[in-house]
Amino acid sequence: MWTTVIVSGISLGSFYTLIALGFALIYGVTRNFNLAHGELLVLAGYVAYWLWKSWAWPFWLTFPAAMVVLLLTGLILQRIFSRLKEPLELNSIVFSFGAAILIQNGMLLCFTGDYRLIRVPALHQGLRFQNFYISYGQFTLLFLSLLVIGLLYLIMQRTYLGKALRATIQDKDAAAMAGINVAAMGTIAFSLGAVLIGLAGPLYGCIHYLYPSAGHEVTLLAITITIFAGVGRMRGVLLAGWILGLSESFAVIFLGASWREMVSAVMLLTLLVLKPRGILGNKP
Amino acid sequence: MIKSIKSRIKKLTFADSGLVLVFLALLLLPVLVGYNDYILQVLTHALLLATLALSWNILGQSGSVSLGHAAFFGAGAYGSALLSLESGLSPWSSIFLAGLIAIGLGLVMGLACLRLRGAYFALASLAFVEIPRVITDNWDGLTRGSLGLAGIPGLPSLHLGSWYLKIGSSITASYYLVFVYALGLLGLVGFLFRSNFGLALQAVREEETAAGSVGVRVDVFRMLSLLLSAFFTGISGACYAHLVSYIGCGLVYGIHFSALPMVLAICGGRFTILGPALAALILYPLDQFIFHPLLPAGHEFLYGLVLILTVLFLPAGLWGTIRKNA
Amino acid sequence: MNIKRWFSVVGLLLMVLWSQTGYAETIKIGEINPLSGRFAQQGLEIHQGVKVAVAEANAAGGVGGRMLELVSRDDQSQPDVAIARAEELCGWEKVLVLTGGYVDSLVGPISEVAKKYRIPYVASASLQKELVQHGNPYFFRVARLQGFVEPLCEFLTEKLRPRRLAVLSAATPGSTELAQDLEQCLKTHGLSVHLAEKFRPGTPDFTPLIGKLANMDIDVIVSAGFSPDHILFVRQLKENMLSPKAYIGPFGIAYESFIEAMGADADYLYSTCAWDPEFTLPGTDAVSKEFIQRFQRLFNRQPNTTNMHGYTSARALIAAMQHVLYRGQALTGDAIRRALTEIELVLPMERLVFDQTGDPRYYRHVIVQIQNGRMKVVHPPQRATGTAVYPMPPWEQRK
Repeated sequence: MWTTVIVSGISLGSFYTLIALGFALIYGVTRNFNLAHGELLVLAGYVAYWLWKSWAWPFWLTFPAAMVVLLLTGLILQRIFSRLKEPLELNSIVFSFGAAILIQNGMLLCFTGDYRLIRVPALHQGLRFQNFYISYGQFTLLFLSLLVIGLLYLIMQRTYLGKALRATIQDKDAAAMAGINVAAMGTIAFSLGAVLIGLAGPLYGCIHYLYPSAGHEVTLLAITITIFAGVGRMRGVLLAGWILGLSESFAVIFLGASWREMVSAVMLLTLLVLKPRGILGNKP
Repeated sequence: MIKSIKSRIKKLTFADSGLVLVFLALLLLPVLVGYNDYILQVLTHALLLATLALSWNILGQSGSVSLGHAAFFGAGAYGSALLSLESGLSPWSSIFLAGLIAIGLGLVMGLACLRLRGAYFALASLAFVEIPRVITDNWDGLTRGSLGLAGIPGLPSLHLGSWYLKIGSSITASYYLVFVYALGLLGLVGFLFRSNFGLALQAVREEETAAGSVGVRVDVFRMLSLLLSAFFTGISGACYAHLVSYIGCGLVYGIHFSALPMVLAICGGRFTILGPALAALILYPLDQFIFHPLLPAGHEFLYGLVLILTVLFLPAGLWGTIRKNA
Repeated sequence: MNIKRWFSVVGLLLMVLWSQTGYAETIKIGEINPLSGRFAQQGLEIHQGVKVAVAEANAAGGVGGRMLELVSRDDQSQPDVAIARAEELCGWEKVLVLTGGYVDSLVGPISEVAKKYRIPYVASASLQKELVQHGNPYFFRVARLQGFVEPLCEFLTEKLRPRRLAVLSAATPGSTELAQDLEQCLKTHGLSVHLAEKFRPGTPDFTPLIGKLANMDIDVIVSAGFSPDHILFVRQLKENMLSPKAYIGPFGIAYESFIEAMGADADYLYSTCAWDPEFTLPGTDAVSKEFIQRFQRLFNRQPNTTNMHGYTSARALIAAMQHVLYRGQALTGDAIRRALTEIELVLPMERLVFDQTGDPRYYRHVIVQIQNGRMKVVHPPQRATGTAVYPMPPWEQRK
């Protein structure tokens, strides 16, 4: 039993990581909390669903499509976010909350509240080992999360753009004084973050049921993981995701399936109360 | 004295006369709409939302934005429902006790989260509401868990000597009860905001360090504002339970009752007294009577749109801007 | 008198005469179902059943010569919308009676509104015991929880007798109460439940729970979840090669759509069913056939048990209204309410008699098992159309 639990916990955690990455990046660079994150993810899922269902696109092709749609949406949002006045963090919360309501209702109007699922039979076959089973879907999640984190790490550490981003994350004013175009960094962060959301959306749509109000839980997860990882630490996001995934799986075993939902809330509260700057510290 | 009254009347602005009209319309509403139950129900709900928005704003006045006020709403609803169902208490008492339960919950939240500022407090409140929700959902023995509560007694009856009015069974009477509650809360909030307490809250909100340095016990005032806010939100939740007679966890702890008070208070005017109530009285009927028939799915986009417009263009809220330009 | 005045007088006279000719006005039947949102599929099915009953009555000339007008509303699977729609139908549209409804969190609030306006409400799908325990004389329903629990309890204690039993429920009122009542009933018959767990409907991953079940060596699983939960759970059981001796899903399995979605994996699963085109209450074959034909004509597919619930609830109201008119009384809410307490109808789904609290006295499901993609009744023996295959063959031996 324990191997099954650990495998499912880690693959779930990898999934959570992919979900949270966009949020963490946007928050790290621009200090904007995007509470519409979950709704954007569900939107990406709906785009993939619609292409897959009504236009019979192959599943893998829906990924780039969702990423493009989210990129455009992200840029529009970024335009508005940049107009917000101080206090930035609070105003971004209130504004994005309103955007979340707007997007959620828009989806309700366009797609109705029926539960949708993208059925990809290939993902449900898998490999059997001695005492556990891992499906291709779970494997894909793990692989993708490692790949994306790895790519991000390379960008952040090895490219000039990455260095500029890290500088902005660490200290916006100092970065501006050093000649970095902070506004452009914000745009890039939003774009990159939106693309990441576009990547995670179709995945969400084949693992979870899609419905307009599904975004709320996703946003909460993203916030928890971002705060856990600390501001701007990308590697921390992976670790935080795994810890959350494993905690939820263990909670099911020890407490019961009905307590699963409380795990992320309790974790977030504990983090905020004890260490709002993140468990893993502040250095990007 | 006549002179001062005359000069006061001269100073009455267009906005003030608008307010008088609104008050009169609400007072005479049942007659005006021919005792149409549907319209009365919608306006009763709007008045209840007004009380929610006003209570939220008590906390908002101290600078904290809460995204999880449904925690107190749900605690009040469940508290009062369970007390009147299990212990047979009259709703008068159970509603009040429910408010106290909400204060207890507020105390827990305050001790844990009030250290946080601004955005972090908002996020903490977003997470916090999950805790009473999941606990209520799972504690079958106490709250019947996912079963929800049915057959909650209606709003309390009024005994005045030999005169007996069963408010619960009359839609008009329920309307007036909520109306009186809303007026009372409005008066209280007005008194609070204009008193030293209100000034202290304002100081805490605007210049926290300066306030602290002149001796304002910042943490005490923030806690007090949270407790008061929780109390009245709990009472509103209790009223809601008695009005609809059937509640469930997903309903009373839902994002709907966290989002609406916040949206209404901010759009009405976070730094005003009347703003939140007016926003509730305008937006909710607008949503129900006009937008809902037009867009049966997705009509709540109205609240999102208004919030975004307020944040971008009218940070003082609608009533706040009117007041400023008066 | 000049020409103008003459015309206006004649016009007035004509209007008065016209209004007196009594072009029979319709009888408004209100209906609130989740037509969108989480329960959209079932809500739509109930709506279809109600439509068939209304069409049937109108084809036979209406009730007392007056046509029935169905006023439908969508509660979007949300309680606060259900309340608003009920207020609208009762207070604004002024319907005479109400029907429809799926899931108690929606039916409950609607029943309270109906009580307030003194409008009889016959709910099509409601299980929670509490709704009939608070003295609402205007609330009736054509389904009740005991109809599920009693046959399940009998089947488990008499036929299966599991060594280690797990009962899972979803976090909704109907599901939770079914699990609780089943546990109680089993306990009085000497069967204990080794694992009782509650999960959120729509959970994305049951693997930890399945791990727990494997670890505890559970042989029979009863899951009071819904179709999406069963689809996921059974699939994950297969992936983890966990083969219980039986998997019983009271809700959501006995449906054509489920069997289609699952394919061969649906075989050997058990469920409960109130009615199916293939097995109807003895003596109701003619009514059942007519229902199926009319349904096919209107909607171009085979009806299922949920459609039948909608049909049954509407039939009850129509019969009550006919009863009132037959007695020569005025068609009011209270008269219809009284008539509902007196009617006795033999319908394909049940012999419909309401008891004092509004519950249907003789509502009872049969236990079915899916074999080769078709439903076979395996309990009670009087209505059986096949024999149960127990234990379920392990996944390794199946294709």
